[in-house]
Amino acid sequence: MSEATITTPAEREIHVERVFAAPVARVWQAYTDPDLIGQWWGRGNKITIERMEVERGGRWRFVEHGPEGDNGFEGRYREVSPQERIVQTFEWDGMPGHVIVETAEFTDLGDGRTQVTTTSLFHTAEERDGMLNSGMDVGLNESYAALDALLAKQA
Amino acid sequence: MVQRQDGLDDSFHALADRTRRGILERLGRQEASVSELAEQFDMTLTGMKKHIRVLEEAGLVSTEKVGRVRRCRLGPRRLQDETAWIARYQEMLEARLDRLGEFLERDGGEEP
Repeated sequence: MSEATITTPAEREIHVERVFAAPVARVWQAYTDPDLIGQWWGRGNKITIERMEVERGGRWRFVEHGPEGDNGFEGRYREVSPQERIVQTFEWDGMPGHVIVETAEFTDLGDGRTQVTTTSLFHTAEERDGMLNSGMDVGLNESYAALDALLAKQA
Repeated sequence: MVQRQDGLDDSFHALADRTRRGILERLGRQEASVSELAEQFDMTLTGMKKHIRVLEEAGLVSTEKVGRVRRCRLGPRRLQDETAWIARYQEMLEARLDRLGEFLERDGGEEP
């Protein structure tokens, strides 16, 4: 059971919701136990877990060994609330500086199933560097609207 | 620390100006020379050249000198890098959750 929606690029968010036939404790374990995460995170490819410090401020770095070579991914955990929510940053080595903030929320459906809701927010370096607070926000919002229009044209 | 990187940052910077967005819309319909654009947007040739340079550095516009005229058209990259990355990310995310579902179904019963 799954449902995915991409919101407008102006919001730069991707939402995906899934319902898994497993209790929330089990799903949480799959997300936070290095022995278990390696069995699904690589999408069928082997991964090397170079770092995985599941705690607020902790770092993670996985290298996925795919048929076309290795790809490194890394970030930091921003919030770790057991069986409720994980917020972490996500950066691919191939797109340095493009930080995605991933939130995974776990909802116990009470019948042995668990809903996982993920939200991925794409950030730009401008935002990271705090330029939104220096008068550029109007221009940036306008530029998001423009991006929106351009992306709609390409689609 | 401000990093200038090829990608979203340059695109956002280039698009943060109304005139530049207008230029892209205009070039999306048909290519044009710098002087035609300057006339249409009611600005000096020098001013238009500056805008074109920003757009060109972001890869959103490409220019070519034909005789004495510099022609402008939408660039080779446009927003394809960014859209490709976002699409690829979403693909990874969904594939990852597919695998998680398979993993939970496969190993779920083995938990004590």
